[in-house]
Amino acid sequence: MNTAMLLLLVAFAAPILALVAGAIQPRLAPSAAMLGVAATAAVVVWSFWQPDSSHKTTWASIYGMNVELTLDGLGRLYALLATGIGFFVVAYASRYIPLHLHHQQRPLSHQTRFYFFLLLFMAAMVGLVMAQDLILLFMFWDLTAIASFFLIGYDQQEEESRSAAMMALMVTGITAVLVLIGSIMLYTEYGTFSLPAIIESGEILGASDWALLLIAIGALAKSAQTPLHFWLPRAMAAPTPVSAYLHSAAMVAAGVFLIGRFYPLMKEIDWLLDIFLFVGFSSMLVGGIIALTRNVLKQILAYSTISQYGYVVFMFGMGGSYGIKGASFYVLAHAIVKSALFLTAGAVSEATGKKNLSDIGGLRRKMPMLAIGSGFAAAGLVALPLTIGFFKDEIFFARAVELGQPYMTMDVLGASLTFAYIFRFWTHVFLGREITEAKPISGWLVWPVFSLGIITILGGVWPEPFTKIAEGAASVTAYSAQHLDVHYTFDPIPENMMAVATWTLGLTIYLTRRKWWRLATGIAHLGEKIGPAHWYYKGLNGLNALSDSVHDYEVRDLRSRVVSILVPAGVLVAIAVVITPNANSFEIGSFEQQDFTLVIMLVAVVVSGFVVMLLRDHLRLAIGLSCVGYSLAGVWAFMGAPNVTLVAVVVETILSLFFIGMLVLMPSTILRFETQAEGDRRSMPRDAIIATIAGLLVFFVSWGALSRTSWNTEVIESQTVLTTAVHARNVVTAILADFRGFDTMGEITVIAITLIGIISLLRSGRLR
Amino acid sequence: MTLVFSMAIASLFAAGAYLMLKRDLIRLIAGMIMIGNAANLFIMASALRRGRANILPANGDRLADPLVQAMVLTAIVISFATAALALVVVYRVYTSHLSVDISDISAAEEEQSELDEPRAEDMIETELEDEIEDLVESPLVEVPL
Repeated sequence: MNTAMLLLLVAFAAPILALVAGAIQPRLAPSAAMLGVAATAAVVVWSFWQPDSSHKTTWASIYGMNVELTLDGLGRLYALLATGIGFFVVAYASRYIPLHLHHQQRPLSHQTRFYFFLLLFMAAMVGLVMAQDLILLFMFWDLTAIASFFLIGYDQQEEESRSAAMMALMVTGITAVLVLIGSIMLYTEYGTFSLPAIIESGEILGASDWALLLIAIGALAKSAQTPLHFWLPRAMAAPTPVSAYLHSAAMVAAGVFLIGRFYPLMKEIDWLLDIFLFVGFSSMLVGGIIALTRNVLKQILAYSTISQYGYVVFMFGMGGSYGIKGASFYVLAHAIVKSALFLTAGAVSEATGKKNLSDIGGLRRKMPMLAIGSGFAAAGLVALPLTIGFFKDEIFFARAVELGQPYMTMDVLGASLTFAYIFRFWTHVFLGREITEAKPISGWLVWPVFSLGIITILGGVWPEPFTKIAEGAASVTAYSAQHLDVHYTFDPIPENMMAVATWTLGLTIYLTRRKWWRLATGIAHLGEKIGPAHWYYKGLNGLNALSDSVHDYEVRDLRSRVVSILVPAGVLVAIAVVITPNANSFEIGSFEQQDFTLVIMLVAVVVSGFVVMLLRDHLRLAIGLSCVGYSLAGVWAFMGAPNVTLVAVVVETILSLFFIGMLVLMPSTILRFETQAEGDRRSMPRDAIIATIAGLLVFFVSWGALSRTSWNTEVIESQTVLTTAVHARNVVTAILADFRGFDTMGEITVIAITLIGIISLLRSGRLR
Repeated sequence: MTLVFSMAIASLFAAGAYLMLKRDLIRLIAGMIMIGNAANLFIMASALRRGRANILPANGDRLADPLVQAMVLTAIVISFATAALALVVVYRVYTSHLSVDISDISAAEEEQSELDEPRAEDMIETELEDEIEDLVESPLVEVPL
């Protein structure tokens, strides 16, 4: 077994392990989950010393679908994030979730579900980063969306979290369909679902630039980029470990991962890179400005995430060697520091019972370890030297320096916003005077934060392991070997100058907050009022209203029920008739002398059909109906179908007798209402018009279809040959009794069941 | 012949559709049977070739397409069964409503649902609706400092 397959199996064993352990005893679930994550993370870490490994199994070969997995540099980076950060989050959750459930007066058994979906998410993420087949990729992509729905909606009794989960599912689920459409478009252009094969061809064929745009939209929505960012702040309704995991290392990272995966193709399309630049920068700004104005701890971090992933998308937009390396390194560094900050927010809220920044302050004395750990992480996010974050901004700036002044300005602006809101976040929580009581909390809520803080510092003094990981990912994304070398220089190079400018500007923004507060909150409010979230609710309301009105119409009576199904079906058929290319495809068909009798029988069928339509009396209706049936039997006879003729005559006879028998059971007063009914006469023209339209549609559809029958009669010959092989003379009977015997058995069963139904309905025929 | 067949199919279908639009349930079933006939004719008309009956030996004659015949045989029998069942259901409707007029029956249905106490499933439905409304009107993010 190779590494890729091993990793997938271990990853998917983890949620099952947690589920089984939780089913035996809820208390065992956290330990089982920790074991599962640790094992998966161990495989990922081990894989760094292994060569890239691939696994390929044929799945649905006629569609060209394979289970194609490759654990390459890009996959290792994101798998490490999903499992490594996942480990800290699960450790943290082992103490946090019981407390959380206790607060909400829910039984401890609910925690099994949490671990199951968290690990399922992790497994889906691990599968996603290895998938090389577009359909497989989409399946894992959708699995992450489903798992995230259950995680965000974990507090199922809270309306807010249900609505947040639904919103996240709508935004990421609908855009996931775009990814699927894009994948299929790529398939039609390249003839394969295999991504490496597509990339190898090295060119953008036909409409595949639009396909890549659709995939990019899916990716940007997942990464919560404007204008599809609004689901992320609301998803903060989830318990803190979920937010820390999904919104720092996993779900949002999946979006930029997808861009990284497709980047060798995407970088060829200039306008797509411009979209990345625009979306990335606007996310940086929107996220940064709104984060400045938020009061709830997790909301600050949520908007911060939008802004940070804006950086990554911006770097993809800038492209170039530094842009690609920077994006990979940024994701790695950001995941470490942001998960630490999320976990800090959870720990602080747990200790003080408060969620708002204005209610918390001066916690450095009560929680020194947490203050240090999150201080390191915050320093990392604002890119202070001696942290891993310094290098993430350094590479970011390096690319901007290559591109020139406007990019440098945008970089510094975005980064200084980050500095301002993170500075505000950390100083308000840990410095200043103590506002609230803080009760002691479990060490398990602190050590994950502290460890992540130490890793942040470690990355600052010994960046080589981290740059190696980013190098591996960047090489895949750039589709060429990349080398990333970072070190401190004390010369006034532009990057350093930009860093200093960022800190200064950031601090200035923070200190002058009284001046721009109104403006920033105004922008945030305006965003709520006319922003995409507003349109999301509007759209949802509209859909609800539409569904209500259709429902109201549909349940009125039988006719409206039929109409509400058949009219849309008819409209769809009409659209199909109109848009199908029909030039030269209607044939009048051959006409031979012996067809003359057939035409006469068909005329008889049609005439009796129209007569039935106009008859008033029910008995005559039944007789007219049998006229249609017998004439059709004549048609079958002239078409060389004696079997069908025989059956048709028998069936028609029985049905006519049955019909008349039913009429006998009902008194004539009931049956004669039709001719007197006022409403029916009035609706006659309307019915006639509808029937004519329906007839015309059927005419075009059947004419078009019959004009295009295949001329390959191989099947007929083979059936004829087979008939002699089963010692039969009649081909049709041989088909029914021998080749399709089981089908005919089923048909007989249907008749028998119907008969039982008829008998039971007739026997209980008492009046109510 | 293609054109002739299509015209016949379309006429049968139109006549059936007209009957289905009537308020009389028996006519509705008659329409159903007619549309079934139109479908059978369509299947038969889609034969890859027409010719002599499928009785072997062929003696070099051109044989008709046997596959469509086999399919139509199945279709005829099944549509007969459904038509018979539908007729009996109409009879049941008559025994309980003393009418085979759709408008009478839906009027009676409405009357009945007004008489009935709100049932448990309706309660659930209204609760769900409230929930969706709440969900849609859920409060926006907290007002800042």
